[in-house]
Amino acid sequence: MNELRRDPITGRWTIVFLDKIAGPGDFRVEPHDKKRDNCPFCWGSEALTPPEIAAHRKAGPPNSPGWTVRVVPNKFPALRIEGELDKEGIGIFDMMNGIGAHEVIVDTPEHFKDMADLTHAETEEVLWAYVARSLDLRRDSRFKYILIFKNYGKSAGASLEHPHSQLIALPIVPKRVLEEIDGASKYYEYKERCVFCDIVREEQEKKEGIIYEDDCFIAFCPYVSRFPYEVWVLPKKHSSDFTNTDRDRVRCLARALRDSLARIKKLLSDPSYNFIIHTSPINGHEREDYHWHIEIMPKLGKIAGFEWGSGFYINPVPPHIAAENLLKVKLG
Amino acid sequence: MPELRRDPIIGRWVIISTERAKRPDQFGSGLVEKEEFTGGEKCPFCEGNESMTPPEIYALRKPGSSPNGPGWEVRVIPSISPLLTIEGDLDRHGRGMYDIMSARGAHEIIVESPRHQRESELSQEQIVKSMNVVLDRIRDLERDTRIKYAMLFKNYGKAAGGGHIKHPRAQIIGTPVNLKRVKEELSGAKFYYDYRERCVFCDIMRQELAMQKRIIAESKYFIALAPFASRFPFETWILPKGHSCDFYKTDRGHVPDLASLIDLIFRKTRSVIGDFPYNLVLHAAPFRRDAGKKGYWETIERDYHWHFEILPILTRVAGFEWGSGFYINPLPPEDAARSVREARV
Repeated sequence: MNELRRDPITGRWTIVFLDKIAGPGDFRVEPHDKKRDNCPFCWGSEALTPPEIAAHRKAGPPNSPGWTVRVVPNKFPALRIEGELDKEGIGIFDMMNGIGAHEVIVDTPEHFKDMADLTHAETEEVLWAYVARSLDLRRDSRFKYILIFKNYGKSAGASLEHPHSQLIALPIVPKRVLEEIDGASKYYEYKERCVFCDIVREEQEKKEGIIYEDDCFIAFCPYVSRFPYEVWVLPKKHSSDFTNTDRDRVRCLARALRDSLARIKKLLSDPSYNFIIHTSPINGHEREDYHWHIEIMPKLGKIAGFEWGSGFYINPVPPHIAAENLLKVKLG
Repeated sequence: MPELRRDPIIGRWVIISTERAKRPDQFGSGLVEKEEFTGGEKCPFCEGNESMTPPEIYALRKPGSSPNGPGWEVRVIPSISPLLTIEGDLDRHGRGMYDIMSARGAHEIIVESPRHQRESELSQEQIVKSMNVVLDRIRDLERDTRIKYAMLFKNYGKAAGGGHIKHPRAQIIGTPVNLKRVKEELSGAKFYYDYRERCVFCDIMRQELAMQKRIIAESKYFIALAPFASRFPFETWILPKGHSCDFYKTDRGHVPDLASLIDLIFRKTRSVIGDFPYNLVLHAAPFRRDAGKKGYWETIERDYHWHFEILPILTRVAGFEWGSGFYINPLPPEDAARSVREARV
């Protein structure tokens, strides 16, 4: 029989299949079929992108080969950095001009690799670039939120094959973020505890969902997973703002994230995926009621009409089975 | 310059991207044409294969034909792989910090045609028949007090989660809980109403009619428009001009008018972008059985307005947007509306 489970943060329900469970091989994963034609993110093609904003380099001057991580403005930005923020209303409709930053973090010079294939040290450099860029952008008072995410593979929305992450600094706080914060702060008001800290405790007690744990970070398939093989990575020590992660903790995070991605890649034949860093809006100080974390969502099915209309999810793999399968993967 | 637009009902922001803008005809993907269309003999939804499905719940039949045999025009069956099942009690309990419920509810498939045909080949007359059946089914589900909400939807084409059997059909899921997304929209509409004492959807229609920028087509009783903060290229809403929160109470006399508008919208849109994958979702008020009781939502009949949302799946960015609630739409809805409005069919 199937079970309905409610997410304690946002209150959304998920139908979890408990009898007709899909096995790891039941998902049809589209092969990536990478071609490397005129890739603007490979060494030697630096001139094909706007000038770099930052780079981690072993050698060479800016905008030349020799880098290991490179940050550039998005050539086709969803938002533009120049200009004053301008708000206006037309009748009942509200609008704003599209001020913001849209940056691309090129994860590695190697076209055919993904974050799952990087070393821990290489992953650490990518994550450190996220932190460094966030630290810089949060000083701009026009921005309210920094959204960092990665689309890997066409079905996850990646338009370029070369492994990259994206950062969007926004003049608004996105709705889903507000919802999550709102849910977390209601929980805090009532219990005076962070709901994410409680979730971590609960996962540690149950153990069945955990796929990675060290002193600083934990990765698990959450009890109310919306998607098959969804994985969350959280710092064990309470912190609301990803930007406040120091270098030592970035090193630990690199392990937790890279290993989780590597398990997913190996078990599910290199599926497309998205990961999103959920962090608090920019305001400079730590808050008690929210806890930053990374949500990894492998793209193993299509989101259908029912889920769109209802905000009600259907997950054909119970999270404890997903975790069990992920843990069986032998990492190189 | 790109533009951020806010949906006036639930407050969701959308980036209308001008940097990545494409012309409306550049979305012509013909995604669905490329999909294989075969298998009438093995299709459980075809006339003659009735024994391949669970016994029918309802069918619009020709005189003299018998249940679970040939001779029907629209047939309703329980889903072969139901997400929620109707038998048994609704059991709610807590497990640690989590709330659990048994998966009770209804999951029905409305087979819209006895023939194995493409959706674009459905006749208007057939759409009228299936819509009348849908109205009957929702009316019937309203009598089951365990069901709080009936969600009607269609998934068409692979990219929209349409499944491998290509036979025109819609689905209804009756859920034992009120749905989060529905609640969000309802409370957005109520918030607007509390302040202005007007329905936000009626206001949207009034403004769109005055502006004439995003209206796609009108019929006597219904209107089709591209919403101001469209999340997707060619997103289309269809609303009744007369205020009403319950789709299932639609006047049967208005059904042919609605069917012809839906048929027109699809034919026009297909002429611009080819046969496209889409999700169609009915947004309507939940069932109300406690009128007069404490805590009853008194204004719901005045503040909420049922409508259909048609969401074409043409871009593949959904994963991230799904997770963040933040949408980037590469086609301004004014351009989409104009190209569909001007399409000749």
